[in-house]
Amino acid sequence: MVLCIIAFIVFAVMSIFSAKYRPLAKEGFRCVFRTIMLKPCDTGMDERIKAEVVSKVLKVSPVLARFTNKHFTMISWVFVILTLGSMVYSAFGLYNFYYYGNCDGPGSVNACIINDLTGDYGRFSEPTDLVAPTNFDGIVAGNPDANITIVEFGCFTCPYTKKAESTMDELLEKYDDSVYYVFKPFPLPNHQNSYEAAVAVLCAEKQGKHFELQDEIFEQQEVCTSDGTIAIKQLAEDAGLDMNAFNQCYDNNETVEQLEEYIQQGKDSHIYATPTFFVNGNAIVGPKPIEDFEKIIDGEMG
Amino acid sequence: MKDIRADFPMLEKHPEVIYFDNACTALKPQTVIDAIVEYYTEFGACGGRSSHQLARKTNNKLDESREKVAKFVNADPEGLVWTRNATESLNLVAGSFDFSQRRKVVTTVMEHHSVLLPFMKLRDQGKIDLEILPCDENAEVRMEKWENAIDKECALIVTNSWNNTTGGGNNIPELSKLGHDSGALICVDGAQGVPHHKTDLKGENIDFLCFSGHKMLGPTGIGALAMRKEDIPKLRPFIVGGGTVMKTSIEQAESATDQTRFEAGIQHYAGIIGFAAACDYLSDYGMDNVESLEKEFADALVSTIKDAGATVYGKADRAGAVCSFNFKGGKPHDVALMLDKENIALRSGFFCAQPGLEAIGASGGAVRASAYIYNTLDEVKKFSEALEKVSVLYG
Repeated sequence: MVLCIIAFIVFAVMSIFSAKYRPLAKEGFRCVFRTIMLKPCDTGMDERIKAEVVSKVLKVSPVLARFTNKHFTMISWVFVILTLGSMVYSAFGLYNFYYYGNCDGPGSVNACIINDLTGDYGRFSEPTDLVAPTNFDGIVAGNPDANITIVEFGCFTCPYTKKAESTMDELLEKYDDSVYYVFKPFPLPNHQNSYEAAVAVLCAEKQGKHFELQDEIFEQQEVCTSDGTIAIKQLAEDAGLDMNAFNQCYDNNETVEQLEEYIQQGKDSHIYATPTFFVNGNAIVGPKPIEDFEKIIDGEMG
Repeated sequence: MKDIRADFPMLEKHPEVIYFDNACTALKPQTVIDAIVEYYTEFGACGGRSSHQLARKTNNKLDESREKVAKFVNADPEGLVWTRNATESLNLVAGSFDFSQRRKVVTTVMEHHSVLLPFMKLRDQGKIDLEILPCDENAEVRMEKWENAIDKECALIVTNSWNNTTGGGNNIPELSKLGHDSGALICVDGAQGVPHHKTDLKGENIDFLCFSGHKMLGPTGIGALAMRKEDIPKLRPFIVGGGTVMKTSIEQAESATDQTRFEAGIQHYAGIIGFAAACDYLSDYGMDNVESLEKEFADALVSTIKDAGATVYGKADRAGAVCSFNFKGGKPHDVALMLDKENIALRSGFFCAQPGLEAIGASGGAVRASAYIYNTLDEVKKFSEALEKVSVLYG
């Protein structure tokens, strides 16, 4: 009875592709229908599946086969729950893939994906579509004359931009004067208050305290996302900014034009997720391990 | 004994399968298949109606077939009625017998549903009084039970000559004597008995003998009701139509006086001819040989199943190679499917004999192994190995 649920699902999918599975899907459906109607399954399908499974296990281990035979209903339930769970998970993945181009969705472990429906940035599903920027304006660190330039498009309210920050810190420390680092704010529309955060950090840059505010925002990312301007101003104060100057800048949108320029550069580079890095033009999408960066940097350094 | 396995195309086609579901239906030898094909390819006409040469050829073949099948059970050809199977034969007796003088029918709990249900239906309609005798722990009905039940009120005894669950049988000559002494007639369900042991309608004083072709190497869809020709008027026509009347007007119909009064419509000619070919095959093989082989298989199956730790129902010493069994904690369908994975073809469930199985303690049904003439002791050995393997799952 229990296994018919799985059988119905599996054979229903398989019968889309091959007619030979249709009678089995029909049997499975009948069994599931009867189960729902609180009637015993009369197709014998569950018994046949049980025999199939137990006989296979019997070839491997009689003891295990005996256990399987004895507790088959319980094992079946476990499989049913796992199957249904996996189906829900798969459906969620498909939904994410459709809307975000990534099965993990906006909370991807790889990157924060731009929501093509809510944003206007355009979506490109392959890193090969990315175009390295030629303009190195941005929030910078390191040696401007270095042979290695790392350009990052990042969003201050993206957890993966935050995650990559420590990697950048390590790289700057390791390669010291050999690396020039350029951060271009690229607020994602599907992240609440990301635009405001970017405006604020650029205002902080005017006071030379952009890293301080950036650290505060990353640290309090959730609060910043939920509370917006109130939280941002509090974080600016915590970061030790001159609040009069900051408020003047922030409230008057003095850095918006600059931010829009960075966003346009991101669009020109076909950015579809944050963080996206260009290490001497070599694209890396997502907070990849430091080794991935080192491999490129070491290669470029010869 | 000659090796006959090559005569059975199914065995050649599926050499890996050990077919132990013979109590359900038997495999067919090539001669039977050829006989059926011959009807369709060589003459293929109506019997008993048209007079052209193909019809005459069909008639000759049908007459010859009736003689062969009647002879197989030592009945008069004029007393042999074609039916679809033993079930229809039993229904024909139940539906046609005159219960106006006596209305008691005696049967047993160990009968097939095809025996019980037609008479239970009559009982429920208030047309008969039905006495169903209980069995003992060996699935046998003791003679004193019969003696007590068969009295001057008894019109008919209905029982099997060999039951389909335990391979046990009734002493038909003794029962027919008992019945006849009281003025009752006896109707024997020979579905299992006729294929497996020599059946002598006249010698055993059987009034009505019901049997199927498919359990005795013949085709499905053909059976027979055999009786003495003088008993034909004792049964009223059951299903009427083409071929059952002498003459008909819109006011009245005059029934045929011979057995054709029960054979309405075009008959299963190919099946009849195939049935006769099956009787030929078994006669050539020798029913004495069938019986001795049955006994050999019965002993081997009982000991094999018992050695595997299963419960075998019925007496250990049995004539028929039919063994119903259960493993403790094992559902019959599960066990049968597990053995199917080992290429052993068995039946599981109630075998259309639920009251009987419940009476002997198999209330959840059982697994049944049944052998026939083309099986071998080597197959029993392989069955034993498969049982040993599967038995670890239970107990």
